[in-house]
Amino acid sequence: MHTIRKVVIQNFKKFKSLTLDFEPGKTVLIGNNEAGKSSILLALDLALGGSRNRIEALGAEALLNKDSVSAFLAGEKSLEKLPELIVDVFLEEGDDESLYGTNNAHQRQTDGVRMILAVMAEYGEAVQAILADDQPNFPFEYYAVRFETFAGRPYAAFNRPIKHMMLDGSRIDGDHASREYTRAVYAFNAPVEDRYKLENLYRQGKQAFTGQHLAALNADLPAYQFDVRSSIRSNLETDLIITEDDIPLENHGKGRQCFIKTEFALSKHKQGGLDVMLLEEPENHLSHSSMKALVAKLAENKSTQLFIATHSSHICSRLDLRHALLIGPNTAAGSLKALSPDTAEFFMKAPDNNVLEFALSKKVILVEGDAEFILVEEFYKQCSNGRLPHVDDVHIISIGGTSFKRYMELANLLGIRVAAIRDNDKDYQKNCVENYAGFASDNAKVFADKDNDRSTFEIGLHNDNVETCKAVFGPGRKTLSPLEYMLANKAEAAFELLKGKPGELTVPAFIAEAIQWINE
Amino acid sequence: MDKRVMFAVAGSGKTTLLVKRLSLEKRALIITYTENNYRHLRDSIIKRFGHVPKNINLLSYFTFLYSFCYRPLLQVHMQTRGISFRAPHARTLKLKRDNKAYYATTSGSVYHNRLAKLLETVNAIPDVMARMERFYDEFYVDEVQDLAGHDFNLLMALAKAKVEMLFVGDFYQHTFDTSRDGNVNSSLHADIGKYEKLFQKAGVTVDKETLSRSWRCGVTVCDFIRTHLQIDMQSQHTYETEIIPLANQVDANAVHADGNVVKLFYQEHYKYGCLSNNWGASKGLDHYNDVCVVLGATHWKIYQTSSLAALPPQTKNKLYVAFSRTRGKLYLAPEKLFKPFKTD
Repeated sequence: MHTIRKVVIQNFKKFKSLTLDFEPGKTVLIGNNEAGKSSILLALDLALGGSRNRIEALGAEALLNKDSVSAFLAGEKSLEKLPELIVDVFLEEGDDESLYGTNNAHQRQTDGVRMILAVMAEYGEAVQAILADDQPNFPFEYYAVRFETFAGRPYAAFNRPIKHMMLDGSRIDGDHASREYTRAVYAFNAPVEDRYKLENLYRQGKQAFTGQHLAALNADLPAYQFDVRSSIRSNLETDLIITEDDIPLENHGKGRQCFIKTEFALSKHKQGGLDVMLLEEPENHLSHSSMKALVAKLAENKSTQLFIATHSSHICSRLDLRHALLIGPNTAAGSLKALSPDTAEFFMKAPDNNVLEFALSKKVILVEGDAEFILVEEFYKQCSNGRLPHVDDVHIISIGGTSFKRYMELANLLGIRVAAIRDNDKDYQKNCVENYAGFASDNAKVFADKDNDRSTFEIGLHNDNVETCKAVFGPGRKTLSPLEYMLANKAEAAFELLKGKPGELTVPAFIAEAIQWINE
Repeated sequence: MDKRVMFAVAGSGKTTLLVKRLSLEKRALIITYTENNYRHLRDSIIKRFGHVPKNINLLSYFTFLYSFCYRPLLQVHMQTRGISFRAPHARTLKLKRDNKAYYATTSGSVYHNRLAKLLETVNAIPDVMARMERFYDEFYVDEVQDLAGHDFNLLMALAKAKVEMLFVGDFYQHTFDTSRDGNVNSSLHADIGKYEKLFQKAGVTVDKETLSRSWRCGVTVCDFIRTHLQIDMQSQHTYETEIIPLANQVDANAVHADGNVVKLFYQEHYKYGCLSNNWGASKGLDHYNDVCVVLGATHWKIYQTSSLAALPPQTKNKLYVAFSRTRGKLYLAPEKLFKPFKTD
């Protein structure tokens, strides 16, 4: 059983260079659209698969990092500087000498396999001619792929050392994908000698059909005869399908297909199970309850290492956030393990929705209560000519309590810009400056009222909008002043202000500052 | 940790002994050089276990050198793309030993005869030993007498690895060299005494007793080899067989036509249109019963004056291989009696 411990990617798709460490068991890749989750799964899929055909079908142009290509064309364009695409898959060390060697990016003796897409050395002269063109011309056509273990042993699809399977939820019922899937699970279940035997019986069955049933028809035909096809395009493996309750898998709904395929692939097989399974957005087409059932299956699986790319907070949280690998914008990546132990534990216990939303954002305004949450969007509109926050990629997240530091640490790890808006609690210097030493950075900043008398959001808001508050909260109230009412009913008061006087509020200065800073 | 080299005589059962030592528990790496012997070893392993078990890895010498020692450690560093079995140009001998051009062609193939030297130069031998210790408990080298040039030095260096080792070989069956490079170890096989000392110096016990008797050859043939080639060979058996020099064309024709007698020629055996092989190439083959060794005019004359022992080692050893193939009768014939069958 092989386990992937690390992948080092160079010049693959959007990644100029990326190193990810994996735990045995499960890895959940979360990140925004275009963050590169699928690229990471694809890199693993291609490197483990050892299929030259697939690389050729995808094409060097689609796989090579665009920036590296343009940087090369902008430079002196010499042959030895041509970018190479390399995916090094480091494995848990085992007892197979053909995997063990220094043939990897770290030149370290360990187990693993690598894929290299590089210009073929024997075409040096031809490539040189292309590079000499005045027009920027990149020799994509001269790139070829090699698959080698860290011991330098070449491998191909048929003898790839790691057994893996990729299931893409969005393309679950594609014709090609279905056939590949069926073929793969058939191979897991049937030993090679059985496969030959079955293949042989199938062919004989077809011949028998021709002999028995087509014979009468053929007897009346003079020169030409009907027969049944039995070529490599039409044999047992091509005709094989998987059924459930006598219904072919492809006739089930996409959701059910996704479920069955995942479950079937992960179940125990005669020929030993899968080493690695790559799941791309398994939540696609699944109802909430099916997804729960699927996640339960994934969670109880022990024998196969799982890589799951998902947008679903449910999948992520149910599989334990410790397994989550956050792919941030700007191709930064971090696992919760890279955070300080305190902070990591905090996130494992925190409500998952926040963490996911936070991790998937580029810019975040953190607030510490419902009242702020209700009003900050309104403030944002006022401060930016009526634009809504999401138009500027800004998310407002209410995290309650005082866990700002945790989020700031995560923001620094993932390269997210975060403005934290909080109360000064009567001591700006101590609570809002000294308190965040080591957490505040170019990307993470705390905003609070510098006036210690304006110790909470409500006091500041009230003092900046005395007349408005009086107009909204004054009528019909005898015992409580508007401020007292606001302090006693924070969220409700904020909601009433929003309803009663939209567009007429004066934005507290530090909040305006935060809104301006977040978009700098 | 037992490390031992056994010097064997032809047909004394070194393959049998080696295969008997294998088990399903210990991870064994077995190296041999000739194609014949590789196949013979593989067949013997399959005969014993029914298949080649996963814990037993049988490699030909260059597969070992390239795929086990070189490729995992140095391929990235050297940026090579394969192995070259051509002899490097003589001028490369003048290059410094730390010059890449000494070890690889300009198109990126490493020279087969300098791979072992390369491992030494870049100080990779400790890593190779670590690899052996990591993946194997036992290290066997069959036909150890064929290791020559830098390859012999590599073997002596690897002998320090902490795994059990057994090398078996027959000094006088040294008919091929794994590789040569200039004058490196060129006189290695000139003197058996000095050869044995090199093993002792590397910490390998020399055992000349265990495999000193031939199961294949009877007393008569062993006596003949002792007398004519002055190679100390004894038989496990006591029965007598026959040595039959062929004197006339009629007898020669009969032997030529006899499908039970394998005819062994100095070279180009295929031109004689009969069941045949060359002296040296018959090494490692164990299935002949009666054998006819055909001697060229010069060799025939030397044989008749009983001075075959004075032949150059290369020729003498090949002749030893040829004589010792027989289980039964040994015919001797001058080549002129086979001339009539020769085609071009």
